[in-house]
Amino acid sequence: MQDAYCPDVKERICTGCTTFRNETVNKLAVMITTPPYSNLSVTALDYIETALKSGVELVGVFFYQDGVLHADAHVQIASDEFQTISQWQKLHQEYKLPLYLCITAAEKRGISDDKIENIHSIFTVSGLGELVELSAMADRMVQF
Amino acid sequence: MLNTSIKSSTKALAIINAKAPYSNTAGKDALDIALIFGSFEQTVSLFFQGDGVWQLISGQDGSIISVKDYLKTFAAFEFYDIENVYVCQSSLTERGLKANFHIDQVQVLKRQAFAQQLTSHQTILRF
Repeated sequence: MQDAYCPDVKERICTGCTTFRNETVNKLAVMITTPPYSNLSVTALDYIETALKSGVELVGVFFYQDGVLHADAHVQIASDEFQTISQWQKLHQEYKLPLYLCITAAEKRGISDDKIENIHSIFTVSGLGELVELSAMADRMVQF
Repeated sequence: MLNTSIKSSTKALAIINAKAPYSNTAGKDALDIALIFGSFEQTVSLFFQGDGVWQLISGQDGSIISVKDYLKTFAAFEFYDIENVYVCQSSLTERGLKANFHIDQVQVLKRQAFAQQLTSHQTILRF
């Protein structure tokens, strides 16, 4: 989770809990900006899985910036390292977790939807408009 | 695709810009989100702190170093109903910068007021 830390404010502003401390979160949206080889993505996956197991409804996960690399079918992580994609597939199958890919950010990184095999089939090709919708549906949106 | 519930949304989005404009795409990625939320009539405010304050300083032209000059698009904020642009005064002072911005509606805030404004938003994204 990214924390907003203003050295001038002298206190940590947690992106996830600033104004929601006293509210029940029923619907959650998550934005992933970190790549599959980053341990920050593991933190995001743990967070999402814990939320799902707690009965929180995940309205969707939106992949932006380097986060779009999660959807790239050509990415290969060494077999003795954490397999991020396996975890997304597991969550998608078990919970029907919707995974939205920002295609503009993806194309900038060489991931094109002109061939179906380029993008893992669990991802839905979309754009920033989807992020607006997820934000409107969710009680809370958290960025990783 | 987009349903009508979006319009009735009362949530306000804060986007914190904390990176200088040209060495990475963070500023442009944040701008794209701000404009799309604005065009869907969502309340969105922009916060600049740390090296992010450089994005507001006038007299820059990214095209000189072959970077698309996305800062020019800041001038279009009013067309997207993005009215609230806040900058951290201490971040300016630390960098020896004067409040000489390339857009008009920037509000320079002291640390407490900056934090106070942030807490009035339901969602915070940081780039």
